[in-house]
Amino acid sequence: MRGGDAAAAAEEGSPRSPDLHDLSDDSDYAAAAAATASDHTAMRTDSADTGSDETTRIDVVYEKERVTIHPTQYGSGRISGKLRLFLQQGSLFLSWEPNEGDGSLSTSSVAVEIDKYRNLYTIKALPLSDVRFIRRHTPTFGLDYIIIVLSSGLAFPPFYFYNGGIRELFATLKQHVFIIRSDDDPNVFLVNDFQDPLQKSLSSLELPGVASVANAMSRQNSLSFTGSVDETRHADDGRHGAASSMSQYSSKQKPKSNDPGRDLSIQVLEKFSLVTKFARDTTSSLFRDNIGAHAYGRQQHGYALDNQASDKQKNQYVTPEKDYVPSAPVESDPIPLVWGKQRDRPLSVEEWTAFLDPEGRVMDSKALRKKVFYGGIDHVLRKEVWKFLLGYHEYDSTYAEREYLTAMKRAEYEAIKSQWKSISATQAKRFTKFRERKGLIDKDVVRTDRSVPYYEGDENRNVVVLRDILLTYSFYNFDLGYCQGMSDFLAPILYIMEDESESFWCFASLMERLGANFNRDQNGMHAQLLALSKLVELLDPPLHNYFRQNDCLNYFFCFRWVLIQFKREFSFEQIMLLWEVLWTHYLSEHFHLYLCVAILKRYRQRIIGEQMDFDTLLKFINELSGQINLDRAIQDAEALCTIAGENGASCIPPGTPPSMPIETDGGLYVQQDEVL
Amino acid sequence: MSYAYLFKYIIIGDTGVGKSCLLLQFTDKRFQPVHDLTIGVEFGARMITIDSKPIKLQIWDTAGQESFRSITRSYYRGAAGALLVYDITRRETFNHLASWLEDARQHANANMTVMLIGNKCDLSHRRAVSYEEGEQFAKEHGLVFMEASAKTAQNVEEAFIKTAGTIYKKIQDGIFDVSNESNGIKVGYAVPNSSGGGAGSSSQAGGCCS
Repeated sequence: MRGGDAAAAAEEGSPRSPDLHDLSDDSDYAAAAAATASDHTAMRTDSADTGSDETTRIDVVYEKERVTIHPTQYGSGRISGKLRLFLQQGSLFLSWEPNEGDGSLSTSSVAVEIDKYRNLYTIKALPLSDVRFIRRHTPTFGLDYIIIVLSSGLAFPPFYFYNGGIRELFATLKQHVFIIRSDDDPNVFLVNDFQDPLQKSLSSLELPGVASVANAMSRQNSLSFTGSVDETRHADDGRHGAASSMSQYSSKQKPKSNDPGRDLSIQVLEKFSLVTKFARDTTSSLFRDNIGAHAYGRQQHGYALDNQASDKQKNQYVTPEKDYVPSAPVESDPIPLVWGKQRDRPLSVEEWTAFLDPEGRVMDSKALRKKVFYGGIDHVLRKEVWKFLLGYHEYDSTYAEREYLTAMKRAEYEAIKSQWKSISATQAKRFTKFRERKGLIDKDVVRTDRSVPYYEGDENRNVVVLRDILLTYSFYNFDLGYCQGMSDFLAPILYIMEDESESFWCFASLMERLGANFNRDQNGMHAQLLALSKLVELLDPPLHNYFRQNDCLNYFFCFRWVLIQFKREFSFEQIMLLWEVLWTHYLSEHFHLYLCVAILKRYRQRIIGEQMDFDTLLKFINELSGQINLDRAIQDAEALCTIAGENGASCIPPGTPPSMPIETDGGLYVQQDEVL
Repeated sequence: MSYAYLFKYIIIGDTGVGKSCLLLQFTDKRFQPVHDLTIGVEFGARMITIDSKPIKLQIWDTAGQESFRSITRSYYRGAAGALLVYDITRRETFNHLASWLEDARQHANANMTVMLIGNKCDLSHRRAVSYEEGEQFAKEHGLVFMEASAKTAQNVEEAFIKTAGTIYKKIQDGIFDVSNESNGIKVGYAVPNSSGGGAGSSSQAGGCCS
């Protein structure tokens, strides 16, 4: 990328910053690119353009096609490119050049946006001496990827290796530059860094370029900061008895660590989504200086920086990792309170009508999804709008097309339903799987939302419809079949649609995304719980450490939250609102995971203060049912999602539900035979 | 409320055998035929008295469907007692007992007391498993056995309390080291200096459970 392009992109990014979700990504990456371009890159590029003598001779030592970035969450927004390492004048450089667009989408707004990213993320020649570390991710589910973090603390988006080649990349790097594995995280490879990471981070504080970036950041957000710090202090003063014993203990162990400013600076830093674990120290120390906040302790290494002390005490070693005690007095976060957007009023009939063109197409689906994300949907509109959110209806379909589709789908539904309807008693006797499935569904529909008037009472007709839809679905998707929890999803859908076929197809659309929750091997659940663990590690390291020390990292205590997307945690009315918010996939397809983080953070004080073990925690989480403030949780989650930005997205491997699954040859729902 | 001991119980068995109903009958003394199916795990608790000592039972009621086994297994950890439940009117729930037992043996404490319960004995006209078969299975596997009905409350109280009695006896006999909470036993405030060592954990066990 040329310096000029980057600067232009940065300018283009900044005016949009008032909108919450825009604070994180584009403008920051542009800034990252600009910072790099201004010194090395531009010069190298120029010389490469003009020069032909041997001083500009390039030796490519590594080259890999189909190294891809995912700047948007949608498959169509992936940009594939070529990653190279090359030697020039004895120094190693890295480049990533996106493939040209195929032109097929050239007129659409998506294509324009993708082109923007293509320019923004191009790396012409990045000297490896500018790289602080490379983090390697080789998830069990999904593609391998790396994250490159610069000395300045700025990071490029994850590069996914569609054709493999990560091992070769590191092998090549090893031949040409000094890289070492971090002691703290075996997946982090420090580049040119043979000192103590702390020393390195302190020395990089002196870099003028870094300081100016950080200053710019703090100016931009000084208002949020001030409020947050005050709230934190206030919370600190008001801490209750349960925590005080903790804090005494903690103060004995590490007197400098129990300062709210520490957690705060992590939070603030991550808002910019430019940094991962290591780089935090650098920049957050800068924040601390800039805003006059307090100390910053780094959990991963178990030391704390105390800004009230003089420089010479800065890197005081406090306590080894295993003895680290999370600082007790950090109240549940002030940050989301500052940032979470006020919830809006639900989408009204007038507003909905305004979204439609005369033939019934939704003209601006993104604006619609945004509206629903912030306010939900007026109850009378749910029947209509849910069909779009669930993907049963296309946003750009017309009234006529939808009417036609509805009729076709009704016939198709009846055809599938007749498959099991026509099984005679004699046939059923020899069809164990059918009998078992039907038996299970029969047992479960009478145990689903029976306190809701629509489903209450003996011989309730709607309960029979629930049964019929689930049994039909188990024939429509025989591999997946039926699993407990499905009826929890279906009941509100049928309640809204009041139509068997329509409910079926809406449910089937939902299962396209969430079917993996019900896979026999539970892979969809494990993938989400793993992603959740990564998100907590990113967004609340002390809580993550606490869970790690207490053997809670499997996150099974969030199992019910994730499996049925909080169905049992909220009232029937509330869950309809929450689900339509989730189904917008507006800020993230995985907003429900941020919601988990938000709720955990709300109760972190109690969890850590009361030293809950796995059993106690599970019970505690279970008993939060009906106690959670939904609007506040959504607001918190929204703020966290924005804070996490690209780093958050990179915690979640591609294909994690409710993303559309990555298809494999063996079918989507590979199951062993004895399944019901 | 203070207690001498807290025992962790787990209720396991196929879906629909009446695990949640047994729990509700024991904790609330009522039968609720209409309730939501269990996702993950639900909790119940009740105080009982054994040897004039207050004992708190904390009971984990698990989801029965096969798919959730990998999750359910994590709940076995540290259970002192288990109620393994089948439905006497559904043969297959009896046939699956061996696999449940294997799970329990593999993932739970070796000293865990297992009580086998043939539930729904009020429906004996639809019986598909005889009392003798249940008894025989229990004998073969070293379990305590009872038929019960969550609906009529028959034997429900007995099942839970008899299990607690067995656990209590194991403590008296020194089979359990009560200072080790992985046995599913916590020593409470009211402990009258019994089989040693556990007082250190009392402060933690005291306040956290309703």
